[in-house]
Amino acid sequence: ILDDPDLKDIDPTVLKHCHAAAATCILEAGKQKADISAISTCLEDCKLDKERIEQFCTEYQKNKDALEILLGSIGRSPLHVTDVSWRLEYQIKSNQLHKTYQPSYLVTLNVENGDSGSHPDVSFSCTMEQLQDLVGKLKDAAKSLERAAQM
Amino acid sequence: KLNVDVDTVQHGVEGLMYLLTESSKLMISEIDFQDSIHVLGFSDELNKILLQLYLGNRKEIRSILSELAPKLPSYHSLEWRLDVQLASRSLRQQIKPAVTLKLHLNQNEDQTAQVLQTDPSTLLHLIQQLEQAMGEMKTNHCRRIVRNMK
Repeated sequence: ILDDPDLKDIDPTVLKHCHAAAATCILEAGKQKADISAISTCLEDCKLDKERIEQFCTEYQKNKDALEILLGSIGRSPLHVTDVSWRLEYQIKSNQLHKTYQPSYLVTLNVENGDSGSHPDVSFSCTMEQLQDLVGKLKDAAKSLERAAQM
Repeated sequence: KLNVDVDTVQHGVEGLMYLLTESSKLMISEIDFQDSIHVLGFSDELNKILLQLYLGNRKEIRSILSELAPKLPSYHSLEWRLDVQLASRSLRQQIKPAVTLKLHLNQNEDQTAQVLQTDPSTLLHLIQQLEQAMGEMKTNHCRRIVRNMK
């Protein structure tokens, strides 16, 4: 804002105060999920005139959803799984053991950390039975989700 | 008790170990085993005992040897939990469903547990992808390879 040509005539300190005040107001409104009437009342108490209140509220409405998404994404949570890769291999032998003849899956869960962005992915191997167990459990979770959503 | 000196006993044990380990590793057939030890010139009775020793312990030896191969952490089990986030410090009045997972893995006798989280749509995506993976073993391509590799 300090570089905006339209605002260069205003004292930078005042500009900073205004920006901070506006930001605080917007963030509080977003956090509390305040509706338009609540915001209007609040601004009236601050002695803003009707036209300005209307302008502010219109702009707020336009960006409300984006604001809520942004605020909702702030915060700590466990590592978030975003995707999965898998590889199927058939083991024939190792230097310790020949003729093994076993199928084996290598599964990698791509993981994201909200704060720092990257994190080593979680990889593990499993047999067919173990994979069936894993998928079975995930399907149980999904079914529970469906039931919960219908309540 | 055996009336032989320590070295002989030690060599005997080591020889036996080597015989059984190598035979198990290569998974040689009965006939091949018998042919191999015949060269050593032992009595028929001893050869029979050795063969029984080999066949009886082969499975266990092989499972121990399989632990020595390079490998990644392996799947042990999975626990899951459904959560709904209702509010946070930065946003009130939310309804955000999430699935929390605890993945138990084994690595060289250590068990690790990793807590992960995912959202409903990613969960469905994971299920779909892994079901595809499971289906691969049943395709003609894989079946053919398994048949021909034996």
